[in-house]
Amino acid sequence: MLDLDKLRALAKETISRDDIKYLIGWRQGTYGFRTSPHFVGNLEDAEQLIFSPLCSSNLATYLTLAEKRPVPRGAQPDTRRVAIMVKGCDSRAVVQQLVEQGIKRESVYVIGCPCEGIIDRRKLEEKVPHTLERVEARWENGKIILDLPAGRAAFPRDEIVAGKCLTCRYPNPVIADVTVGEDVEVRGSAGFEDINWLEVKNAQERWAFWRDKVNSCIRCYSCRNVCPMCYCAECILDKLNPAWIQRSVNVSENTAFQLARAFHLAGRCIECGECERVCPVEIPLSHLNRKLVKEVSEQFAFTPGIDPEAKPLLAGYRPNDREAFIL
Amino acid sequence: MSENFEPNVVAFLCNWCSYAGADLAGTSRIEYPPNLNVIRVMCSGRVNPMFVVNALQQGADGVLVSGCHPGDCHYMEGNFLARRRFALMRELLNFVGVDERRFNMSWVSASEGAKWKDVVTGVVNNLQEAGPFTEFPRKKIDW
Repeated sequence: MLDLDKLRALAKETISRDDIKYLIGWRQGTYGFRTSPHFVGNLEDAEQLIFSPLCSSNLATYLTLAEKRPVPRGAQPDTRRVAIMVKGCDSRAVVQQLVEQGIKRESVYVIGCPCEGIIDRRKLEEKVPHTLERVEARWENGKIILDLPAGRAAFPRDEIVAGKCLTCRYPNPVIADVTVGEDVEVRGSAGFEDINWLEVKNAQERWAFWRDKVNSCIRCYSCRNVCPMCYCAECILDKLNPAWIQRSVNVSENTAFQLARAFHLAGRCIECGECERVCPVEIPLSHLNRKLVKEVSEQFAFTPGIDPEAKPLLAGYRPNDREAFIL
Repeated sequence: MSENFEPNVVAFLCNWCSYAGADLAGTSRIEYPPNLNVIRVMCSGRVNPMFVVNALQQGADGVLVSGCHPGDCHYMEGNFLARRRFALMRELLNFVGVDERRFNMSWVSASEGAKWKDVVTGVVNNLQEAGPFTEFPRKKIDW
């Protein structure tokens, strides 16, 4: 269990430092099970910081989203670091951004938060009625305790955590300057049970499955916007010339979009599952990502977001890479 | 599929090996199926995996990417990089349910006119069996 007072004390100490610009964390949302990102710039704001099973968003996205304003003539650029709270999966996003040189190590200060699993709001709302009251949650002895308006409720962890947390192999941050709380036990396996059921089907059945799913895509691009690895200044989805993917919303363009999104994460996806969480039409996007994670680990024995010194997978090669598919 | 289905194959050939290999097959008067639409690129590493998706969208029934043998690349490592990319793209396409015969990759050097014939014949025969691509071609709108 995590002591919130300790977390807030640490946050205060951190933002009082001269070399910290601001701290990115979570705070209670405006209603119900929501939490929202919290940008802490002063000691008062630090009082609202939380870390609970409801803190689903991956804050690493905000590292690359920050606006880079031109430095006025004669002024010195602001080289202070951004402090960021990360769960296990988020820390892999930070590492992968370091690998790709999207951010610099000396510009972030990582506060690691070992995490026992994040609540999937959709699973929870099947069990608990929707509420406008703010709800607090915490982990306790393998269970998740919720303070609902109707009273306290406890749920077994595995019933309400997100799918990605059931297979999570890195609940403890892989990179951290300072850690809050104690390391937790790793329960996920290295298997790919979540996609094996789909892989064993034949091509027609797989296409029937995906046609159904991509057909409902409304091309809101939330999956791209929330992805910590999608930080290209210029995205092919926004380009009109050449138009890689046309803007019409139909099965052909939607499939091309989903293939492009998944492929651009090949060897980079850190399995935080944010794309799937924010998808308004509930497309199982993480299946596509997990398939590529599986291929990358089987063919190239590579796991993204672990080693900050690694080379990006698709920017290198080994002469003896597998080539059984080549005629 | 019926015997007389003629697949439409888009072939991305690298300038230095496969294009010259196809040229050699032609000058040597080796006969091979005429279903290819050849696009010459400077290197197989130039072929963006999205080209494959795009070709399928725009009416191709199959795609062939061909380059120099590993180690022979004019740019030293272009085909190694392409090999990694397409190994993943091929699995991804297969995973969403595109027949795995629709995407092919081969190494053909400038002196392998005969191999070029074998590759093309194999690809076209496979695609004749697989039939037209119906999964996600762009709808042709006749204004």
